[in-house]
Amino acid sequence: MNYQEILEKIKTKVEPIYYKEDLGVLNAEVKPSDIKKVISFLKDELKFDWLNFITAIDWPENQNIEIIYYLYSNITKDKVVIRVKLDRNNPTIDTITDIFKTAEWHERETAEMFGVKFLNHPYPKRLLTIDGMDAPLRKDFKCDDLKPLPKD
Amino acid sequence: MGLMNGIDEKFLKKIPGAPVIMTSIEWIINASRANSLWTVTFGLRCCAIEMMHTGATKTDWARFGFEVPAASPRRADVMVVAGTVSKKMVPIVKRLYEQMPDPKYVIAMGACAISGGPFVYDSYSVVYGVDKIIPVDVYIPGCPPRPEALIDGFIKLQKKIMTQKFRK
Ligand code: SF4
Repeated sequence: MNYQEILEKIKTKVEPIYYKEDLGVLNAEVKPSDIKKVISFLKDELKFDWLNFITAIDWPENQNIEIIYYLYSNITKDKVVIRVKLDRNNPTIDTITDIFKTAEWHERETAEMFGVKFLNHPYPKRLLTIDGMDAPLRKDFKCDDLKPLPKD
Repeated sequence: MGLMNGIDEKFLKKIPGAPVIMTSIEWIINASRANSLWTVTFGLRCCAIEMMHTGATKTDWARFGFEVPAASPRRADVMVVAGTVSKKMVPIVKRLYEQMPDPKYVIAMGACAISGGPFVYDSYSVVYGVDKIIPVDVYIPGCPPRPEALIDGFIKLQKKIMTQKFRK
């Protein structure tokens, strides 16, 4: 499948807010409430059986946190990227752990690195950072012993 | 036992015609300690690969009396902190150190364990040197230090052990 075909099939289920093609891979942005629908549709009907990763990007100028789901199919060898924009001040989204079990640790990492709250996560504990540290990968992160890189 | 470092005529005397050697208690205890150093089997990052290599056949640190990596910190004498200590690892490193019986020694291997190394700037997760949390005896610079450098560090540690005094 090329990206237009994948896009047409996704459009039968949910309407993407925005999409683009990047290096032959479809990037589709969907509404946060549609995420479970679109991921389970991709898994069950378009045979995207592999969740490569979940990560996030911080956009302080638009007050957004963008969650990125990267899926791959071992059967058709296709790739697709699903993006979701959340409000930066209160980022909450449903977990997809019940669809892809591997999402559990990816979501835990994204949660502690960007301060995103995944609703109904089975084990919402910290994975990599120490207690009390919040969202170190946000652009405006500050901590006491952080040494900034000298400019010259 | 490996090589006896720092053997001196005045410390070790063989009495002619008899299987008796005379030496000081201090020397014999220090020599026993220095030539049978067991390391904690414990590595933190890329430097640990180089530490494993040092213990393997090609460089083989047992030749110099560093012997086996102990399977438990309770049997170990020396802790090689090989790699970056992240803030999340601090309680574990401290606990390993506290489980080791006295006398215990610590070697900080590599730039990361000395000062935070390549991760000094803009890092939210790295401790700036393992000496912020536990006392260190020998520092080995490098990123990573070669096996020869690690063996040199161990020999420096043996020399340090040989200078220990029991009388105040
Ligand atoms: S000093 Fe270099 S080789 Fe050693 S742990 Fe740090 S980055 Fe890795």
